[in-house]
Amino acid sequence: MIVRVRAFARFRELLGSDMEIEIPAGATVSDVLRKACSWSEEACEAVFDSTGEVRSHVILMRNGTRMDRKEAGSTSAADGDEIVVFPPVSGG
Amino acid sequence: MKRLAGGDPEILITEGDFDLGRVVCKLTTPEMGGVVCFLGTVRDDGIVKMELEVFLEVAQAELAAICREAMENFRLISISVVHRYGILKPGDNIVGICVGAGHRGEAFRGCEYIIDQLKQRVPIWKKEIRGDGSFWVEGEKRIEK
Repeated sequence: MIVRVRAFARFRELLGSDMEIEIPAGATVSDVLRKACSWSEEACEAVFDSTGEVRSHVILMRNGTRMDRKEAGSTSAADGDEIVVFPPVSGG
Repeated sequence: MKRLAGGDPEILITEGDFDLGRVVCKLTTPEMGGVVCFLGTVRDDGIVKMELEVFLEVAQAELAAICREAMENFRLISISVVHRYGILKPGDNIVGICVGAGHRGEAFRGCEYIIDQLKQRVPIWKKEIRGDGSFWVEGEKRIEK
C-alpha cells in the first residue's frame, strides 16, 4: 500500500516535504515514519527516541486529524492515508 | 464605507504585507464600543531575516476555530486576523489581529486569547537567520540548524 507523508519546518528539511511511502499491509504509522526517515540518521533521531517511540515534541496528523504520538506504534496505516509530521508551532 | 453589523471572522494568510489601519477601518461598525489590535513584528535583535512557513489548510481551519471560540467567549462583534509567511526582515509585520466588541474589556481579552491560542495551535513556524547561524523556533525553544 501507498501512504503519503508530508513534513513541515525542521522536519521538512530532514525528511523532505512530500513523499509517497510503500509499506506492507498491516504496517503501523510508526513503520511509515521509520521508512520515511530511513535514508537519514539525523531524521530518524529527530523523530524517534532511543526506545523507538515517537518523540514527545513531534506532532502527528493522520488524514487531517491530530493523533496521539503514543498511538503511532499501535495504529495501522491504510492505503491512501496521509500522515503529516511537524514540530511545535511558533507563529505570531 | 463602513458595514453596519459585524460578521464572520476575516482570516488572511498571505505573503504580502498589510496595513493595520485599513484592517481597523474595514472591521469597525457603529455598535462597537472598542476595537483592540495586536501587531506582531520581526524584532531587530540580531536577526538578518526570518522565514515563516505555514501548513496552509490546517492553519486556516485552526485560526477559524480560534476565532469562533473568541467570538463566543468574549462577545466579540467582529474579528480580522492577517498572518504573513515567506521571507521577512527586521521591522516587518508578521501578524495583525483586530477585534471589535461592545466594551473594551471584552475586546482586550478577546484579542489576547486569539494571539495566545495562535501561538500554541496554528501550524506556522519561524526560522531565524542570524549572523552566527540559523535556528528553527519550536514553541519556546530555538533549535540550531
